[in-house]
Amino acid sequence: MKPVSHLIENRPWMAWLIFFVTIVVVFLVGLLASSVIERRAEAVFVNVPKTEISQFEPRNAVWGENYPREFQSYYQTADTTFASKYDGSRMIDMLEVDPRMVVLWAGYAFSKDYSQGRGHFYAVEDIRNTLRTGAPTNDTDGPQPSTCWTCKSPDVPRLMNEKGVEEFYKGKWSGLGAEVVNPIGCADCHDSKTMNLHISRPGLIEAFARQGKDITKASHQEMRTLVCAQCHVEYYFDKHKVEGANYLTFPWDKGMSAESIEQYYDEIEFSDWTHSLSKAPMLKAQHPEYETHSMGIHAERGVSCADCHMPYKSEGGQKFTDHHIQSPLNNVANSCQVCHREETAKLIQNVYDRQDKVIENRDKLEIMLVHAHVEARKAWDLGATEAQMKEILQGIRHAQWRWDFAAASHGASFHAPLETSRIISTGLNIAGETRIKLSRLLATLGFNQEVPYPDIDTKAKAQEFIGLDIKKLKEEKQTFKQNVLPKWIEAAEKREAGYSQKVEL
Amino acid sequence: MMAGIFAGLFFFLIYISKAHSYLSDEPETCVNCHIMAPQYATWSHGSHREYANCNDCHVPHNNVFNKYFFKAKDGMRHASMFALRLEPQVIFIHEAGQEVVHQNCIRCHSKLLLNPKLVSSVENQKVHATDRLCWECHREVPHGRVNSLSSTPNARVPLPESPVPAWLKEYLSE
Repeated sequence: MKPVSHLIENRPWMAWLIFFVTIVVVFLVGLLASSVIERRAEAVFVNVPKTEISQFEPRNAVWGENYPREFQSYYQTADTTFASKYDGSRMIDMLEVDPRMVVLWAGYAFSKDYSQGRGHFYAVEDIRNTLRTGAPTNDTDGPQPSTCWTCKSPDVPRLMNEKGVEEFYKGKWSGLGAEVVNPIGCADCHDSKTMNLHISRPGLIEAFARQGKDITKASHQEMRTLVCAQCHVEYYFDKHKVEGANYLTFPWDKGMSAESIEQYYDEIEFSDWTHSLSKAPMLKAQHPEYETHSMGIHAERGVSCADCHMPYKSEGGQKFTDHHIQSPLNNVANSCQVCHREETAKLIQNVYDRQDKVIENRDKLEIMLVHAHVEARKAWDLGATEAQMKEILQGIRHAQWRWDFAAASHGASFHAPLETSRIISTGLNIAGETRIKLSRLLATLGFNQEVPYPDIDTKAKAQEFIGLDIKKLKEEKQTFKQNVLPKWIEAAEKREAGYSQKVEL
Repeated sequence: MMAGIFAGLFFFLIYISKAHSYLSDEPETCVNCHIMAPQYATWSHGSHREYANCNDCHVPHNNVFNKYFFKAKDGMRHASMFALRLEPQVIFIHEAGQEVVHQNCIRCHSKLLLNPKLVSSVENQKVHATDRLCWECHREVPHGRVNSLSSTPNARVPLPESPVPAWLKEYLSE
């Protein structure tokens, strides 16, 4: 081949041709390069969040700007229209439904007011409204400690970070009224950087550590249950761990069964309150839902809480987790029917059947417990001694603990019907034995008749029977809502207005 | 000088398009184009993630020449579509690609296809297993059913980061 210079020498127009062809090629390659640059730059802007979420951001709406589908479905927990046979998302006055509970909890705040809860959206509103939290008039007043806020809000991890965990557990419930205002939401379960599920509170981490388990080793599927287990568990306030603090503690050191937890409480001689009729040192089961769930068949098969209560859904071709946390009975198609190929009505009936059968015996145990409490009071009235009553009171304590463990773990009759029935039957057995001891004692004290069952057909009658002045409590609450609550809300709005991220609603 | 500009542009184009990465089998290469993010995200949430990368299914493996010929042919098509912004909102596989994927299903799962136990016990098993494409029945494997460009809005996918080197960014910010 001849050198290019030789070619050009003979035909000068060739030089111009090469010149212009090169211009065109470089121009086109340049265009291609800029197209590639442009398209590559787009990658940097794919999924760029609309807003920056800080680590302890308590306001759900701020998270919602980046994750609108999850936020909007979360917001549906405000819906209170669904009612199943026993539960649902509406508020049910449980003391009205079952006035026996008033007598069982005599002397304890639950006898004043106990409602079947609504969705997470109402967590803060409902704890302000319940008569159990009383009517504080200032920051150091009222019946409940600050620890009662622990499960109510993503403001809690924020405060624990600001004040320290021990400091958070000190003081009164009213002391944090202006701080805890956002209902349970995003930051309670999610890490703000990666959106991974994370444990935001110390109780569960500490309980795992005491059992020699490392919660950071939990798989994603386990986390879909464990984030719920931060709150939906049995717990108590340890007053000895830190001076002046009500330290939230899970009593799992001996295991999670009703018996193991009972043994744990017996050994540390813990009681939630002394029953005002029988004087028994009582235990209140909170809501051991994680414990009972883990004893059932669905947990055995590796089904997580979120699998049924927050199933995946598809919207506009996008699959995401439904954050409308609710009863699966209101969404059988996405929960049960993912695995079970039966008709909706049939599946719901299967749930009701289990609930009906468990509650049948639970009610019998309740009646026996009411009897036991009034019979114990009669024994005291007739001059029984501490020594004579000791075993009887321990029996009442154990029997009612088992009743409460079954009753308070709301979904237990479905989550673990077999275990729940077993717990109730041990309760029936203990209550029966205890009442035999009681009738012997009553006979010894010269009383060999039936102690009449009180007239507690309605909540009002039952509360009157245990000597509660509900009218006064309600009036005090009204005063609190008129005088104190608006100040809390105002202070919180002022504080949040100072945050760097603004919420546009 | 023109040749210098041309060569410079050429090397810049190689760098900015990460052209060298196309020789590998890394799935990250396929999300050089960000519109492949849903395909990457769905694959990385499925069981095939553990055993098969993109090329295991999407390029032929009958011989090495065919593998790179097909890869180059498919790649050129994808690159030109992407550069010219011709991508549709929902991407469907073309016939040539279908045949390749189908053969690759068989390559690994041939024993399932003509399992003597199934053939003898299930009526017409052989016919049903061999007269159609695998995903006519196994529709969710492995990318799920819906794959529009916006079907995985928040998926964490290793998209290419800014091509500006860190030292230069630092220098410029000073």
